[in-house]
Amino acid sequence: MSLIRNIQAALTKLAEVWWLIWFQPATTAPLELARIGIGAALLTHYGLATPYLADFWGNAGWMPLRMLDQEYNNNPLVQSLLFYFTAPWQLYLFHYVFLGCCLAFMLGWRTSWVKWFVLIAQISYDYRNPMFFYGVDKILAGLLLILCLAPIGRALSLDRVRAIRKAKRRGGLDATVPLFASEWTTACTRLMQIQMAVLFFYSGISKMGGEDWRAGEAVWTVFTTDEHYSLFFLNLFASHFWLVNFATYGTVFIELAYVFLIWQRLTRPFALAGALFLHSCFALLMGLLYFSFVMMMGHMSFVRPEWLARLGAWWKHRIGPMEMIYDGRCGFCVRSMTWFLAFDGLAQISVRDFRADPSPHVSDAQLEKHLYLVLPDGRALPGFEAYRYAVLRVPGMWWMIPFFYVPVLSRLIGTPLYNWIASNRSRLSSMMRLSPKPQH
Amino acid sequence: MISEKLRVRLTYIAMSAFVTWHTLAMVLAPAPESDVTLLARQALQPYLTFFRLDNQWDFFAPSVGEGSRLRYDVQDRDGKVHAFMPAAELRWYHPNFLWFRSWYYRIIDDPDNFAESAGVIFCRKHAALRPLAITFYEIQEEKFTPEDFAAGKQRMDKDFFSVRMLRGMRCPDP
Repeated sequence: MSLIRNIQAALTKLAEVWWLIWFQPATTAPLELARIGIGAALLTHYGLATPYLADFWGNAGWMPLRMLDQEYNNNPLVQSLLFYFTAPWQLYLFHYVFLGCCLAFMLGWRTSWVKWFVLIAQISYDYRNPMFFYGVDKILAGLLLILCLAPIGRALSLDRVRAIRKAKRRGGLDATVPLFASEWTTACTRLMQIQMAVLFFYSGISKMGGEDWRAGEAVWTVFTTDEHYSLFFLNLFASHFWLVNFATYGTVFIELAYVFLIWQRLTRPFALAGALFLHSCFALLMGLLYFSFVMMMGHMSFVRPEWLARLGAWWKHRIGPMEMIYDGRCGFCVRSMTWFLAFDGLAQISVRDFRADPSPHVSDAQLEKHLYLVLPDGRALPGFEAYRYAVLRVPGMWWMIPFFYVPVLSRLIGTPLYNWIASNRSRLSSMMRLSPKPQH
Repeated sequence: MISEKLRVRLTYIAMSAFVTWHTLAMVLAPAPESDVTLLARQALQPYLTFFRLDNQWDFFAPSVGEGSRLRYDVQDRDGKVHAFMPAAELRWYHPNFLWFRSWYYRIIDDPDNFAESAGVIFCRKHAALRPLAITFYEIQEEKFTPEDFAAGKQRMDKDFFSVRMLRGMRCPDP
C-alpha cells in the first residue's frame, strides 16, 4: 500500500512540476512584444517587395509554377495560396491584403483572426518561391505558428484599447479591464522560448563541426566573402587577428551558453543581453537587419512580465500622477475622454467630473471653458495644452506625438480647434446624440 | 454533460499533449539522422512540412565557405562584349540584396532551368546595347588569408577567384 501511495505522491509532484513549467498563468506581454516587432518587420520587408511582385511570385517571374513540381516532388502537404492565385490581379490583391493584415497584426487590431492570415500568407510566399527561403523565413515560420496558437492581442494592442473603451462606456471613465493572464499563454511563451533555445543550440553545435569555426577564423572568412565584404574590417582584423578569434569563439560561446543560462532567474538577463548583443552585431556589421530584428523579437519571449510591470511602475512614478478634470454633463466630452483614456495602459491619468466633484485646483468657471490636466506639482494645463502634455508622458499615446508636437503648426491649429470644440460641445453632443452616462 | 472537473482535466491533457508534440517537432526537425529520429520523423514529417517547420539551424555552418558571384557578358551586334556583375548594383540595407542574390545563386546552381529566363530579362534590360548574345559565368572566390591581405593583395585579384562558364544563349529579337 505504501508503495502505491509513494507512486501516487511522486506522480502528483510530477504533475505539479509540469503545471509550474507549462501552465502557471501569465500575461501575454512578452508575446505581444514579439507580435509588434514581427508585424513591423513583415510589413517593412514585404512592403519593399511590392515593386517586384510579379518577378518574385508571379507565374511569368523568376520561379514559374512548373518548376515547383520538381522542387517539391508533388508533395500534397506543400501548400501555398499562391499556387491557386495565379492571375496578376489576384497576386496584387493577396499582397495588399497581406500588408493590411501585417499592419493590423502589428497594431493588435482584430488579432485573433488576422494572425492566421499572416501565418498562411507567410507560408504561401515561402512555398511559392523557395529560392528566397533563408534563415529569417525559417524562424518566422516557427514563431508565427506559436503566436497564432497564443491568445495574443490582449495587451499592448488596439484590441485591448477597444476592450477598455467598451468597459469605460459601460461602467464610467474609471472603469478598466484587468490584465489578461492564462495557462495557455504560459504554454505558448514556453514553446517560443524552447524554439529559440533549440535554434541557438543547433546553430552553436553545427558551427563546432566546421574547421574555420574550430580554428577561430570563421569571422575573417565572413568578411572576405562578397556578401559581407568589408575593407574596414579586413584592415582591422589583419592587424589585430585576436579580434577574429574572439568574435568567432564568442559567437559559439554565446549560442551554446544561452541554451543553459537562459532558464535560470539569475543568469537570464546576461544570456538575453548576450543574445541581443550578438544580433545587434549581425545587424550592424553584417547588414542582416531583417534576420537580426526577427531573432531579437523571438528572444522577447524570455522577457519576464514582471520586468515590464516594473518598468511601467518606474515610468508611472517618474512622471507622477495626473488628474484630468472634465465636464461630466457633456456627452461629447465623455465620449472623447473614453477614447483618449483607453490608450492609458498604465492608468497614469485619474479623472474628475467637476460637476459632481469640484476641483480644489481649478475653479468651475475655468472648467466651463476648458478641460484641465492637473500635474503632480499642482499646475493646471487647459485644453489643448493638457492633451499635449499627456501624450508625451503616457506610452500608449506616443503615436499621437506627431500630431501634437509639430513645431508651431500643432499649436496653431490645435488650440483654436480645441477651443471651438469646447465652446460648441453641447451642440456637438446633441448633434451626435451623445448623452452622458452616470459616472461612478 | 461532462463535469467541470473532468472538463478541466481533459483540457490540461489536450494542452499537455500539444506542447509535447510541438516541442518534439522543434527538437527533432534539425536533429542529425539516427534510427530514433527517423522513426519520429515518420510521424512528425506531415506537421513539419505543412507548417514549414522542417529547418536546420545551421547559419554559416559547419563552414562559412567561400562566396560566389554571378557575372554575365552581353555581346552586342558589333561584336563588342560588355561584362556585368549584377550584385554590384545592390545595396546591403535593402531587402533586394537578399532577393536578387538568391536569384543569382539559383542561376549559378541550376543554369539549365534558370539561365534562359534570366537571359531574356537581362537582354531586355540592356536593349540599348542592341544585345545579340548573353553568357553567364560563376566567379568562385578562393581562400583569402590575412597574410594575403597584409601582403597588399586584393580580394578580387585573379589569384583569389576562378571563373566557370555556366551557359550562353542568343538574345531574343527585340
